[in-house]
Amino acid sequence: MSSKATRQPPTIRIMATSFLVIWLLVAAFPFLWTLWGSFKVEGDFFSKANWANALFGTLTQAETGGSFTGAGYEGAWVQEEFWRAALNTTIVCVFVVTVSLTCGTLGGYALARSTHRYAFWFLLFALMFRAMPPITLVSGYLLPFFEWNLWGHLYTTVIVLVAINQPFTLWMLHSFFKNIPKDLDESAMVDGCTRFQAFRHVIIPVMWPGVITTGLFSFLLAYNDFAVTTMLLSKENQTMIPKIASFLGTTQTKGNVMFAVSAVVSATAPLFVMVMFFQRQIVSGLTAGAVKG
Amino acid sequence: MARLQLKNVNKRWGSFVGVDNFNLDIADEEFLVLLGPSGCGKSTTMRMIAGLEDVTDGEIILGDRVVNDLEPKDRDISMVFQSYGLYPNLTVYENIRFPLRVRKVPKEKHDEMVMKAIHMTELEDFMHRRPAELSGGQRQRVALGRAIVRKPTVFLMDEPLSNLDAKLRVSTRAQIKNLQSKLKTTTVYVTHDQIEAMTLADRVVVMNAGKIQQVGTPTDIYDMPANTFVASFIGSPAMNLVEGALEGGTFTGEGIRVEGLPTGPSGNITLGFRAEDAEIVDTGGQISAPMYSIELLGEASMITWRLGGALVSIKTNKEYRAEIGDVVQASIPASICHLFDTASGERIAL
Repeated sequence: MSSKATRQPPTIRIMATSFLVIWLLVAAFPFLWTLWGSFKVEGDFFSKANWANALFGTLTQAETGGSFTGAGYEGAWVQEEFWRAALNTTIVCVFVVTVSLTCGTLGGYALARSTHRYAFWFLLFALMFRAMPPITLVSGYLLPFFEWNLWGHLYTTVIVLVAINQPFTLWMLHSFFKNIPKDLDESAMVDGCTRFQAFRHVIIPVMWPGVITTGLFSFLLAYNDFAVTTMLLSKENQTMIPKIASFLGTTQTKGNVMFAVSAVVSATAPLFVMVMFFQRQIVSGLTAGAVKG
Repeated sequence: MARLQLKNVNKRWGSFVGVDNFNLDIADEEFLVLLGPSGCGKSTTMRMIAGLEDVTDGEIILGDRVVNDLEPKDRDISMVFQSYGLYPNLTVYENIRFPLRVRKVPKEKHDEMVMKAIHMTELEDFMHRRPAELSGGQRQRVALGRAIVRKPTVFLMDEPLSNLDAKLRVSTRAQIKNLQSKLKTTTVYVTHDQIEAMTLADRVVVMNAGKIQQVGTPTDIYDMPANTFVASFIGSPAMNLVEGALEGGTFTGEGIRVEGLPTGPSGNITLGFRAEDAEIVDTGGQISAPMYSIELLGEASMITWRLGGALVSIKTNKEYRAEIGDVVQASIPASICHLFDTASGERIAL
C-alpha cells in the first residue's frame, strides 16, 4: 500500500498513463503497419484511392482471391534470392562481432588498466573517429579498393565495418573494465595468476554482461549499416539492407516495392527475437556501465 | 617462512618521490606494521613487496633471493586488500580454493586445505554463499581465508580493517593477531590507525612523506618518539607539543613554565608530554591558564588549554568540574617531558 506522501495525484497518473499509451502507439505504429501491409498487394498498401484499402485489402482480394497474400515474401526470398543477402548479412555480422569483440575486450582491458597518459589520448581519438559519419571514410576507401581489386568482397566490408565499429567497442568495453576494481586483478595475480590468466579467469566472468551488451551493439551497427555495404559490395554480394534499398530503387516494375516491404519485415524480425533473448544481459550490462560499482 | 629485507628501496614517478630510500630488515615470523598518514608511501612500499609496483631503485630480498624482477605470482606471498578483492562469481569455498587451483596444488589436497582455512576464519556457515550475500566482516574473513589457505612466505595486509565498523574492527583485529601467532608467518601490515599498529605489531615503522620516521616496538615508539611527527601521530590523544624557549634548565612558553630540565640544550625547543602523565593541581602548577574546553570521555575528563598556537590537553578524573574560561593549573614534572628541537623536529636526548 502506498502512503499518502508517495501517492501521485490522479490527474498526474492519468496524464502519465495516456502519454505512455500514445507514445507506445506512435512508436509501434510503423512496425505494425508495415507488418500488416506486407501481406497485401502494392495497389492496397500504396493505395491512391483510399488508405483504408491497406487495412482491408480490397485489391488484394480482387487480385489474389484472399485478403492476405504471401506474394511479396515469395518474390523477395525466392525470385530475387533474398536468402543470399540474409546469408551475407549473417557472415558479415558474425565476423564483425567476433573481430571487434576480441580486439575490444583485449584493448579495452589494456587501456582500462594502463597508467600511461597516452591511453587517454588514444580513447579520445577513438571517440573522434566514432563521431565521423561512416560515409566520409568510405569515399576514401573506394579508389584503393578498386586499384587493389578488393572492391565488392564480403571480407573487405568486414574489415571496414570493424574499423568503424572498433572505436565504439573499445570505448564501451574500456568503461566497463574501468568499473571493475583493480584489486580484483591484483588479488588474482598475487594468488598465482599471470596477467592473462587474471583476465581470463577472474575479469571475463565478471564482464559477461558488458561483453554481451557491447557485442549486441556492434552486431546492430553491422546489421543496420547502409553507407558502407551499399558502396563497397557488388550486386551478388549484397547484404540485406542495400538489397532492400535496391528493391525500392527500381520502382518501374510492379511488385518490387512489395518485395522491399516484405524484406523489411524479414530483416526486422530477427532483431526482435535477439533483443528479447538478451534483454536481461543488456539491462544489467547497461546499468553496470552507468553506475560506478 | 622467511626474512624480508628492503635495501635502499626508492619509488619515483617522474619527479614525484613516493618512497625515499627505504631500508628495513624484517625478521622471520615478525609482525611488522607500516604506519603513517595517507599518501606517506606505506601502501606503495607494500605493493612493491607484492610486485604490483615496480621498484625504481634498490633491492627487495625475500628469503635469500632478490625478487625485484619476479612477477607477483612467483614471489610466494599472499595479500589481503582493503576492498577485499573477492571474486564475485565464485562461492566462499571456491574463492578460498582459487589460489590452490591456479597454483596447481594436487586436487586431492584442496578440500582439506580449504576446510582448514574455513575453520580458522569461522566461515563454515557461509561456505556456499557468494560474496554479495555476505556482510563486510564476513567478506573480510573470506579474504583472510584466501590468504592463509596455502602457506606463503609472507602475508601482506593493506588496511584490511578500514572498511569495517568500529566494533567489528576490534574483534577482527584480535582474530588477525591470533591467526598470525598460530601460523607464524612473517607479516607486513599497512594501516593509518595507530591503535591497530600498537595492538598488533611486534615492530612499527612510522612513515611520513615517503621516509621512515622511526622503527621500533610499540612501547619504544610510544615512550621515546624520535621526532615531533611521531609524537603527534602516536597515542590517543596525541602527545601535547608546546613551543617555547629553554634556558638553564627552565622551559618557558605562553602559559607554561617547567623547571628542572637538563641544562645542556638551549634555544627554541618544543616541549612534549602525554595527556595521561600530567595532572590537575590547585596551586603551583607548571601550566596556569584559562581553560579552553572540558570534554567528558566516560572514564575520564579531558581538560584543554590554548597555549600559544597549540591546544594542550590532559586527562583528569571524571568528577572534575570547571567552567570554560576559569584559570586551571596543571602539574607537568620535568620527568614526563620530552624535548624536541623546534627547527628540525628531532628529539633531544635527555
